[in-house]
Amino acid sequence: MIRQILAVTGMGLRAIPERPGGSLVIVIGMALVVAVMISILSMSTGFMRTVHNTGRADRAVVLGRGSQSEFASEIPRDSVVAIANAPNIRTGADGKPIVSADALVSVAVVKKSNGLDAYVVLRGVGPEGFALRPEIKLLSGRMFRAATHELIVGKSALTQFEGLTVGSQVSLPEGDWTVTGSFESNGDEVESQLLADSETVLSAMRATSFRSMTVMLDRPESFERFRAALTTNPALTVDVKRETELLAAQSKDLNRFLTMIAYVVGGIMGLGATFGALNTMYSMVSARLVEIATLRAMGFGGAAVVVSVLAESLLLAFLGAVIGAAIAWIAFNGNFHSVGGLVFRLAVTPGLVGLGVGFACALGFIGGLFPAIRAVGLPVTTALRGG
Amino acid sequence: MKYFPLVWNGLWRNRARTLFTLLSITVAFILFGILAGVDAGFAHSLEASRMDRLFADPKFGTPLPISYAEQIARVPGVLVVAPRMVLGGYYQDPKNGLGVMCRDVRFFSLRPEIQISKQQMQLLERTRTGAAVSVELARKYGWKVGDKIPLNTTTAQMDGNKVWTFDLVAIIDDRDYPGEGGWFLANYKYYDEARLDNKGTITRFLVRISDPGRGAQIGRQIDRLFVNSAAPTRTNSERASTQSGLQYIGDVSYLTRAVLGAVFFMLLCLSGNTMLQSVRERIPEFAALKAMGFSDNIVLLLVIGEAVLLCIIAAAAGLALSELAIPLARTAQDWLYILQMPWLAMLEGFGLALLVALISALLPAWRVKQLSVVDALARR
Repeated sequence: MIRQILAVTGMGLRAIPERPGGSLVIVIGMALVVAVMISILSMSTGFMRTVHNTGRADRAVVLGRGSQSEFASEIPRDSVVAIANAPNIRTGADGKPIVSADALVSVAVVKKSNGLDAYVVLRGVGPEGFALRPEIKLLSGRMFRAATHELIVGKSALTQFEGLTVGSQVSLPEGDWTVTGSFESNGDEVESQLLADSETVLSAMRATSFRSMTVMLDRPESFERFRAALTTNPALTVDVKRETELLAAQSKDLNRFLTMIAYVVGGIMGLGATFGALNTMYSMVSARLVEIATLRAMGFGGAAVVVSVLAESLLLAFLGAVIGAAIAWIAFNGNFHSVGGLVFRLAVTPGLVGLGVGFACALGFIGGLFPAIRAVGLPVTTALRGG
Repeated sequence: MKYFPLVWNGLWRNRARTLFTLLSITVAFILFGILAGVDAGFAHSLEASRMDRLFADPKFGTPLPISYAEQIARVPGVLVVAPRMVLGGYYQDPKNGLGVMCRDVRFFSLRPEIQISKQQMQLLERTRTGAAVSVELARKYGWKVGDKIPLNTTTAQMDGNKVWTFDLVAIIDDRDYPGEGGWFLANYKYYDEARLDNKGTITRFLVRISDPGRGAQIGRQIDRLFVNSAAPTRTNSERASTQSGLQYIGDVSYLTRAVLGAVFFMLLCLSGNTMLQSVRERIPEFAALKAMGFSDNIVLLLVIGEAVLLCIIAAAAGLALSELAIPLARTAQDWLYILQMPWLAMLEGFGLALLVALISALLPAWRVKQLSVVDALARR
């Protein structure tokens, strides 16, 4: 049985070069489907990777009650002290709680790629801000000083927008601020932002309340206790979220949107490619009808024939998928893309390649199945007379 | 025309193959139609955004004092200035997000695309807590004129209450997006008097200018007025804002064009392969036609005609199906209201079909034209 399958399949595969046109239709069709699908999905994976890099289970974010995002939130100055004194917050070497009340400002900038207006976020962080976010590392220049108009620029923001190089001046309320250094932050959201001292930012903005407050918990498990302490405090009107949860909630919509587009476009193209594959495999079967009937008359089983037809279409689909994945990887992997203010790199991951190959093989299977059934469905005598 | 039956029968010579090719090309054109709809939708929103309308926005996100309006109005070339503030909130469920435009009567001269009658306008200005909403919103939430609409917000009123209640006095429409638009208009006076913080501030001045060509210059003049104040402005034409807004969600037209390129390539492969196979199988038949006295050119045209017929039928079916899919997509996803299917995109679709047909028929048609009758009939 196995030997029969191998023999018939080998015959079929060796004949592929004799029908380059039809085989190419399957290969190219699948390659295009997989390339398009993986490229779109690589946006989603790259975006999610960036978002997840920011999140740590032992960090909690405090927002004004009912706020969905930092920008819509307000934390009054007197709440900051109460929050910092809550239980289960880790303390630094100096005995101070590791927390940062952040102030946010949108700064008008110009995008390098197209000269259009864009906004970048300037995040004012508290004195413990860098103990809270140890992933931030200075790349060049020096740290900003508090109480002066100085800021540092994230690596992604630096590459995307004009006029943010170290030493340049950024126009902000109360005059120009100097960029004193650049930093990286593990490829997360903060890397697309500017950082400065929160009190200096607030006074320049003539604002009195912060946007959000992030705290480092002593252990990830103490989150519930920390939240309970804040939400039961009558002096505070705040919501407490795990950093990871907040980011996941905020990125959910975009992620769902990109995934939907990838599947709709990939699905429609895949349908087209499947019809192409069916076409090729049917004509392959009819061209080999006499040959197949001869084999069966010689005693080869129907299963061997079915497997050989399926194997051929699966192999072609697989080949196409690999080419498609390679195209997507070469063309897009690591490319910068920005949605909103967030800059991220497209990521063609092994998981995506696997998904693409699996999808193409499923389509190839469907494309081969019906012609295979036809190949063995015809009575041998009819087939021997040429159908 | 008299050759039509010949072309038609040639096309259906191998039923299964023609059917599968037709289906695959149809599917490709469904995708083309949807993508063209997305592209056209973005182009439309760019077109609907005007050059003679400037937006003076806060440069750093801090709200602007409403008193700026008089200074802006004095800039040469400025015709009307309309301030507005957006009150963000939701109706019943946080999923039903809404932005309430708190504005005054000047707003309508800046937004002539809003279709509101004189009577409705007066009613809205007279009713302190009045609101006018787009037909789309009224339909979605089942609102009728006379309804009280409570919205949950994060903005506190004087008494600390964060639920704002509006009285619906008018249902309006938008000329640029008939049946859509999503406007929720209310009175700035009511909002500003009732709110606790930030009194006397707004988040945008809409500015109408006399000469659309001088937008950038006037914008700079406006910004210069407030450059050293606590709340500087950043002024841009609506067109420029839309452009950077579209950029904000990523380079959509690059994406659609890239996918369309892939689709076009796929079409060529599918249709080209079918034509090659089909003609190869029928070489003796074409030889017979030639032997009967059909000229080389007629036979060439027969092959081309077959390819054209195949692609045009598939394109028509695909475009028709995408036309059906677009309203479905609109109802499925709110933001898809921008989808459009203009006639131009349809024509482009047929043009593309024709192009694909000609390219894919080129090689086989040439082979048939060059055919030596004797050789072919002898099956050499």
